[in-house]
Amino acid sequence: MELNGGSVVAMIGKDCVAIASDLRLGNQAVGIASNFDKVFPVNDKLYYGLPGLATDVYTLREHLRFRVNMYRMKEEREITPKTFTHLVSSTLYEKRFGPFFIEPVVAGLPTPTELDPHPKPFISTMDTIGCITTPKDFAVAGTAADKLYGVAEGLWEPDLEPEDLFETVSQTLLNAVDRDALSGWGAVVHIITQDKVITRTLRARMD
Amino acid sequence: MARRYDSRTTIFSPEGRLFQVEYAMEAISHAGTVLAVLSKEGIAMAAEKKVTGKLLDLSLAPGGEGMGGEGTEAWMGGGGEKIFLLNNNILAGLAGITSDANSLVNFARNSAQKHLFTYDEDIPVEMLVQRLCDMKQGYTQFGGLRPFGVALLYMGWDPIYGFQLYQSDPSGNYSGWKATCIGSNHSSASSLLKQDYKEDLTLEEAKSLCLKVMSKTMDSTKLSSEKLEFATMTLHPQTKQPLSKIYRPSELDGLLRDLELGGTKEDLIGAMEGTGGGGAVGNVAIST
Amino acid sequence: MECSFGLTGKDYVLLCSDMSAGRSIIRMKSDENKIKTLGPHLAMAYGGEPGDTNNFAEYVERNMRLYHIRNHYPLLPESASAWIRRTLAESIRSRKPYSVNLLLAGYDTTTTKPHLYWIDYLGTKAVVPYAAHGMGVYVSLSTMDKWWFNDMNKREGVDVLKKCIDEVKKRITVHFNFNCILIDKDGIHHIDIESEDPITELESQQPKETLVDAPNPPLDIGNVGVTA
Repeated sequence: MELNGGSVVAMIGKDCVAIASDLRLGNQAVGIASNFDKVFPVNDKLYYGLPGLATDVYTLREHLRFRVNMYRMKEEREITPKTFTHLVSSTLYEKRFGPFFIEPVVAGLPTPTELDPHPKPFISTMDTIGCITTPKDFAVAGTAADKLYGVAEGLWEPDLEPEDLFETVSQTLLNAVDRDALSGWGAVVHIITQDKVITRTLRARMD
Repeated sequence: MARRYDSRTTIFSPEGRLFQVEYAMEAISHAGTVLAVLSKEGIAMAAEKKVTGKLLDLSLAPGGEGMGGEGTEAWMGGGGEKIFLLNNNILAGLAGITSDANSLVNFARNSAQKHLFTYDEDIPVEMLVQRLCDMKQGYTQFGGLRPFGVALLYMGWDPIYGFQLYQSDPSGNYSGWKATCIGSNHSSASSLLKQDYKEDLTLEEAKSLCLKVMSKTMDSTKLSSEKLEFATMTLHPQTKQPLSKIYRPSELDGLLRDLELGGTKEDLIGAMEGTGGGGAVGNVAIST
Repeated sequence: MECSFGLTGKDYVLLCSDMSAGRSIIRMKSDENKIKTLGPHLAMAYGGEPGDTNNFAEYVERNMRLYHIRNHYPLLPESASAWIRRTLAESIRSRKPYSVNLLLAGYDTTTTKPHLYWIDYLGTKAVVPYAAHGMGVYVSLSTMDKWWFNDMNKREGVDVLKKCIDEVKKRITVHFNFNCILIDKDGIHHIDIESEDPITELESQQPKETLVDAPNPPLDIGNVGVTA
């Protein structure tokens, strides 16, 4: 965790969710790259962030991509946020006694169905061995998690519209990583709504 | 004499033949026709469905209006019986025993994902063809097993060779083509393709050639989505990434109407009715 | 006591590594080549636990060559980096992990773009415009932060590299000899970094004379599809 650094935050809004991460990849105190994205898309309604040990970020992402692609081809439909959370969880628990050093965050909007025409926005987070939490407000993880909790607790409010949610999540992330030496070096924010995903790269302090 | 060497797949006959492999190929030549045409702009593939009938419940089969689209889900529109997505950049049309085909599709998808896992790139088309053919060949050599009764057409794109079209048979042989055909009437369809194929076809011309030859090859005069699956492999106009599209029934009927090859419901009635499995074999289990 | 760095330019990538081999404070060799060519347009500078380094480099080299022979075209830099990363990531969780850090440099002939990857013994991979491993990290990264810019031509790239080497010589008490290569559309070339103007020297020679031996498949099957 503290080797490469990096943080992720996700928040629920009104019919939208946001997920954001910083872009730093470090080797302890030395910064190596400022383009290391930790948030990946599953489809245009579902994203996930993998803060933690960078080698495991790649490995876990490739594992998940394998499994999601097989799921998609066999089922001929997209995986739902809830199912995906359990997929991540069981993938992590497979390595119970030699875990991936990753604390994933999942954020997505379930597609409306006949049974559930107005699904609620969904976020979840896990520990390194896949124990799931599904918060109603926000989820944080990474080396700036403690700072993120504080800022998010102060800034978040219920039923934010997409643009307001963008502002809230961006300010939360930027101000939290400024207090963390191992996170920062730029940030990327995704706002997921039913009809589109807004992705913006943020300028941040480069020190 | 020959019969003595029939029961074992892995024994040569005195004439140097492997009968079980030849029988597998024979099974395929009764199966629904699959043909594909390569062009500079992309590849078109059409496949004849033989499992039709009034009582067949297709309500859960792919092809609903809610499925598919123009982007990454374009491949979800139809297919499922003859045409399958093997990977982001590869579609395959299958002729032969359906259950064998399903198992091969699963193997192919797994192999493609394994490649993506180790190399972080889509598997090159020929490499996936080789993976499948290595397995198919194994079943003609190792004891106690039956060869796969499946031939495949693969169409795909990779950054090294661009658009490619391959064909493979139960023996594990494969070859690359500009236009080719497997399944029933493949020899007559091939000669039609040879006659009408031109270098520098556009994709639209390839699609129309594909369907025109199909209409001449199939028994019925008018084509429709009930008896046909259709797919294209192109590059996305903006991202320049491979775009696999399996046509929805409604889209295919629209295309057929544009080409004046059918596509209307009325022409269907009575065409396949009462024949159940349809076609020469008449057995649903082996005739797709 | 190791030092290697690399940087990308407009249509080329430079890779530079020290040539010392030894144990703790003793140098036993000052002309050891620690850059391995892995294909016609791919090379890596490696360092780490002695023994592991050469073994791993040869393992990678031969796997790259096997791929080239099997498929008639080499792995593209992007895929090669993914394969090397996966190998190290699997190794780190094995009973006896490789302890090798490397910089992978390649030129993608299909897109005509240069690539540089920073990879460490854990299997961490960073896609970067410039990078360093070993002692060079502490002085050359800041030098490149200051002087590197987008789409540098070859002369400008070599100048930045020279600045890094000067900085290493100035700030680090250990003396290093450097070995340097340049990869562009024509292949992998040796560069004499000590000379006044290595690029003029490079350009004045026939391309063949500067080429570093790259593992090609034994048969001449032509460069189908892999030329720019």
